[in-house]
Amino acid sequence: MKKLLIVDDEVEICEFLKSFFEDRDFKVATAVSGEDALRQVAVFQPHVVLLDIQMPGLDGLGALKKIRESYPKVKVIMVTAVETQDKIEEAMRLGADNYITKPLSLEYLEKDVQDKIDLLAKIA
Amino acid sequence: MRAPKKVLKKVLVGLILFFLGGLAAYLFPFLLPFSLAHHPLLPIFIMTGIFLAAFKPIERSVKWFLEKYLFHKKTFAQMTLMDLAQELTVNLDLQELSNLVVNTFGEVLHLKSVALLVPDPLQNNFEVASAYGWAISASKKIRLAVDSPLLKLIHQTGPHVLVRGLLLQSLSWQEANTLSRDFDVLQAGWVIPLFVKGEPVGLIAFGSLYPDTVFDQSDFQFFREFSGTIAQSIHNALIVKRLRQLNFELQDSQSQWIQKTKLNAIEQLAAGIAHEIHNPLAIISGKAQVLLMQKGPKQLEPNVQESLNTIVKQTRRAADITRKLLLYSQGSRGPRDWVSLEKVLDETLALLAYQATLDQIEITRNLDPELPRFYSNVQEVREVFLNLLLNAVEAVGKEGRITVELKYRREDDLIEIFCSDTGRGIPPEHVDKVFNPFFTTRHEAVGLGLFVTKQIVHRYGGAIRVESQPGEGSLFIIQLPRQTEIPPAAEIKNSGTVEVTAQKV
Repeated sequence: MKKLLIVDDEVEICEFLKSFFEDRDFKVATAVSGEDALRQVAVFQPHVVLLDIQMPGLDGLGALKKIRESYPKVKVIMVTAVETQDKIEEAMRLGADNYITKPLSLEYLEKDVQDKIDLLAKIA
Repeated sequence: MRAPKKVLKKVLVGLILFFLGGLAAYLFPFLLPFSLAHHPLLPIFIMTGIFLAAFKPIERSVKWFLEKYLFHKKTFAQMTLMDLAQELTVNLDLQELSNLVVNTFGEVLHLKSVALLVPDPLQNNFEVASAYGWAISASKKIRLAVDSPLLKLIHQTGPHVLVRGLLLQSLSWQEANTLSRDFDVLQAGWVIPLFVKGEPVGLIAFGSLYPDTVFDQSDFQFFREFSGTIAQSIHNALIVKRLRQLNFELQDSQSQWIQKTKLNAIEQLAAGIAHEIHNPLAIISGKAQVLLMQKGPKQLEPNVQESLNTIVKQTRRAADITRKLLLYSQGSRGPRDWVSLEKVLDETLALLAYQATLDQIEITRNLDPELPRFYSNVQEVREVFLNLLLNAVEAVGKEGRITVELKYRREDDLIEIFCSDTGRGIPPEHVDKVFNPFFTTRHEAVGLGLFVTKQIVHRYGGAIRVESQPGEGSLFIIQLPRQTEIPPAAEIKNSGTVEVTAQKV
């Protein structure tokens, strides 16, 4: 079963992404903060994480750093509302696998998530 | 009140001359050819004309006569000069003031040349503010250093008129030689220093038409008094000029500061807005997309599907506005690298290919085989191509041609981008405005595309302009100086082609 963790402080975004991916035979968990995301990664053990950059408290970059420390294999796609170059660069440097900007193109997102899953399958 | 008086005077003079003309024609008919003398009015007109032509010399000689025999000539000149001095106290424009001084001086005293010099604090010398009897180009070149013999002497002697002939006789040969050079430069026989509170604020240098001209003691007394008034007004004018300049500089730096603050504010605002707006947009667009991409037996009605597509498209447009604002306000902070313009152009064309085929627009690209890579931020370059092409597609509408040409002008080391279309063109009154922010002729457009494009082009030291013929199409031309700087070592690692390009440089 493909496992996806969606992290966004906007509950609505988590929800429609959840329904979208569940429609496509994913097992989906959601988190609304960086701290929440770290717990979920440990408990849920996702293959791919969709991680919003701007969040109150522990933000996406902070969460990414922690995730990379303990789970180097999990694929992380950063989601950002604003294409600020320095944030994106920082994310790529910290080991993000890709980034997409809001509003999201679900077609592109689905393809990208599937690519990451396929990649993991190949390695395994 | 002066103007009507002048007109009245002219009319009176005209009437008197007309009367004199009539009188002359009546008294001396033999002066005119026989055929004309019998005309009733013509002789009068002709005689009046002759009087008119002769009036100025007559007026002058009468004045001269009066001056010579009835008044003391110099008193007349002095009175004119005192009038001038009075006028000077109300004028604060340095140029007008010095013009007035040198012209009156030159004309009243019948001088060959007059020059008024004022200090130029930046150059540490005195420069000509205005000159009479000089070729303009010649007077502009004259500069008198603060440590020149003449100015040193003025510092010593104070506000006394310097007479060349007398001075040179009283000095040693060596001193006279160096001093006479300064007089020569100014074409002067006399120099009147202008002092305010013991500090020289300028000098009037003048030379006479006749070598034997002399001014007597009373003249010098008058010069001294006169120079006081002029000095004060020149001093005031200099202060006003300096204040104006300072004020201008202040305004300039203030507007720069405002511009910078404004940009900072825009950036923060744009970043804030982008974050706040993109989230709701993501939800709206996301939910519409979820409905559109639903799997299973549920098939959407065509009109519902169309509406959902519009929702997705419009949210993307809204997001585009904030993204552009942010891009503009951020300035060039994105990472730069050696970018293949060809590759970026092709990526951009691929984005537009579908729409272009739908609208039957033929897009051709012409590439210079020697086109070098351009050291830039790839996102900014993409933005430029995208804006140019989107505009072109929009201008063409249906059926037409768009040509993009990339050229390298080796002799100037310039990269040129030509984007031409066969669209409806730009009306002449809009050509100046197309690069202004929020200028658009379309209801559904924001009007930031070309503005942002221009900002980006400027960021790379380039230029953009448009040539357009309404009804025939437009041509956008961008010129970018090739960036010859070699990127820092860290960035070279990112692209294998850099070393090759760098070697070529």
